[in-house]
Amino acid sequence: MIAIDFSDKRPINEQIIAKVIDLAAKGFLPPGSPLPSVRSLATELSINPNTVQKAYAELERLGVIVSVRGRGSIIAENNEPLRNIQVEKLHAGLREAVEAARHLGMSCDEVCGEIRDIFDGGGDRK
Amino acid sequence: MIKTEKLTKRFGDCTAVNAVSTEMHEGAVFGLIGSNGAGKSTFLRMLAGVLKPDSGTLSIDGEDVWENPTVKSRCFFIPDEPYFFKNATPETVKDFYAIFYPKFDRAQFDKIISVFELPPKKRLSEFSKGMRKQIMIIAAVASNCDYLFCDETFDGLDPVARQAVKGIFAAGMVDRKLTPVIASHNLRELEDICDRIGLLHKGGILFEQELDAMKLGIHKVQCAFSSPKTKADFSDAAGFEVIKFTARGVVVTMTVKGTRESVLERVNGLAPLFAELLPLSLEEIFISETEVCGYDIKDILF
Repeated sequence: MIAIDFSDKRPINEQIIAKVIDLAAKGFLPPGSPLPSVRSLATELSINPNTVQKAYAELERLGVIVSVRGRGSIIAENNEPLRNIQVEKLHAGLREAVEAARHLGMSCDEVCGEIRDIFDGGGDRK
Repeated sequence: MIKTEKLTKRFGDCTAVNAVSTEMHEGAVFGLIGSNGAGKSTFLRMLAGVLKPDSGTLSIDGEDVWENPTVKSRCFFIPDEPYFFKNATPETVKDFYAIFYPKFDRAQFDKIISVFELPPKKRLSEFSKGMRKQIMIIAAVASNCDYLFCDETFDGLDPVARQAVKGIFAAGMVDRKLTPVIASHNLRELEDICDRIGLLHKGGILFEQELDAMKLGIHKVQCAFSSPKTKADFSDAAGFEVIKFTARGVVVTMTVKGTRESVLERVNGLAPLFAELLPLSLEEIFISETEVCGYDIKDILF
């Protein structure tokens, strides 16, 4: 479920963090669902268990997962931190897109029009 | 914990390992890198108690290794070229190591042998080089040792065996705080599995650091400005030290020592058209670090 791309330049722990956040945000890992144990994820992916441990610790710090005695790590019932992370990511993506539009000399209205098209499902034109 | 202080070994007038002081902690993977003849194997052979240090101290969990069977029964050394007795088969290798390792797990040995599809009764002299290496690794895993010294262990293995062995090591680390010490040339591979890295050069340790700390403290910055900039525009300041600087027109690429925040703040302060921090690979970190030390990386790693 959590796959690592060894040609990706990002460190493995960051990839795990991004993957868990992505899976949780898309609903594949709903609140309360368990994450694989450090041992099973490390052996399955053939990576250093300390790397998995670090990724889980960071996810816990972010509030995306919580560790429950006897059950290991689970996706937090409170999905607010997760939502905040996603909103932040959305902002960054929009900012980048707007920046690119500005370089193309597009106006705000034009950009909004493009966004509206995509929202309405007509944004697939190439 | 493995602790060495000013550990030195000479062969004739050649100092193979020169005053190396380092610490290796339980449950963490220590990577040793360096060119051929840098002293990696000699260092590992001293850790394993094969060679006696000429001077300096070496202790594992506070005890001397030399001629100490108790400590040695907790360590396993996988040499670059494994040695087996004449006519040895996987079965006799199992019997042999079971004598010296009190926690040797025969059932696990048999199980991994069958997973790797190795014939248990065939003579090892008829095995390929990679298969002989696998036997040694399987013996190491089954020995249930606490410290594992691997001298270029992964280099002779095919990709499937490599992943399998790494998985087995990972389980050992979780289950009994196994501490692998891995010497290798393959920086890309060490990058994925090590917690801490030491770079040996001409017998001495050039530097040693946590891999994460290494990555957090150094960045590659790509940025562009409306007018060309020179290195003087990025003079060193607290938490900002330019190691390498190249400018092509208005685009500047540089390697900077400093935290992500301090580097970004400094660069953004100069109002760039865009600025981007790129992660450095282990190889790039070494090139930067060693250039600073006055060494040419080509002499060290290739």
